[in-house]
Amino acid sequence: MSDCGCDKARKDLEEYLRNEVCKTEHADITEHLESCPACQEEALVARTLTTVVARACKETAPEQLRDQVLARLRAEQATHH
Amino acid sequence: MIATLDPASAVLPVGLDVDWRLMEDEAAADPRTQFEEQALPFMDQLYAAAMRMTRNPADAADLVQETFVKAFASWASFTQGTNLKAWLYRILTNTYINIYRKKQREPYQGTIDELEDWQLGGAESTTASTARSAEAEAIDHMPASVVKDALQSIPEDFRLAVYLADVEGFAYQEIADIMKTPIGTVMSRLHRGRRLLRDLLADYARERGIEVPATRSTT
Repeated sequence: MSDCGCDKARKDLEEYLRNEVCKTEHADITEHLESCPACQEEALVARTLTTVVARACKETAPEQLRDQVLARLRAEQATHH
Repeated sequence: MIATLDPASAVLPVGLDVDWRLMEDEAAADPRTQFEEQALPFMDQLYAAAMRMTRNPADAADLVQETFVKAFASWASFTQGTNLKAWLYRILTNTYINIYRKKQREPYQGTIDELEDWQLGGAESTTASTARSAEAEAIDHMPASVVKDALQSIPEDFRLAVYLADVEGFAYQEIADIMKTPIGTVMSRLHRGRRLLRDLLADYARERGIEVPATRSTT
């Protein structure tokens, strides 16, 4: 990478994508991304990874778990109140 | 008669209307009702996190149950209007670390943060950009089971950081509070975890003949 803003953008890309950088830096990286296809693609990979992990980790709790939790909470209240 | 303005009548429950109102007030003030209404909607999310922590449905269900019991026991200490999801995740994570992590007899991973980047292959990619879209596409088409397996195989502290950031969308500060680590450690775990994950998924794609450029420097 030449010194065209790529190094800085790459270093803070994760933080940029999660809105964890300050406004000035955010503006700098946005500007750099607009003119740099390589960093755009890097950002695409990073975003895709997040989407795919979130998608893969979806779960629904088993129906009986809800009943068990409700029963436990009732029992707890009965013993402590 | 009920609508009388005489304050004395309010003290004595003189009619059905008054009784109903009292019962409703009591129900609203009942901590268990309040807890169930506010905390139980997070059950699916907590269960999903517990599945990634314990790696099996029976332990995940137990962990979620313990978490709700503990949360209810300290419900009085929860400040209404603050972030309930983060509060529940703190209890879930504590409970997991205190009970289940010990039980699982995993090799101790406490020193994972001390590993150097080169040991984890963390160097940023310098590959030509044109091939990166192929990587994004390969990741996008990854079966959920492969992604879960990959997540399961990375060190636990990395996995948790990735989970809390990518699945739950917690901010760095919230993750730091949940994992009881400085923000710098959260960032390092998240970056390294995602790097490992990306490499594992790229390996998987390559084994199936999908061309994905190397993401780590192999010098």
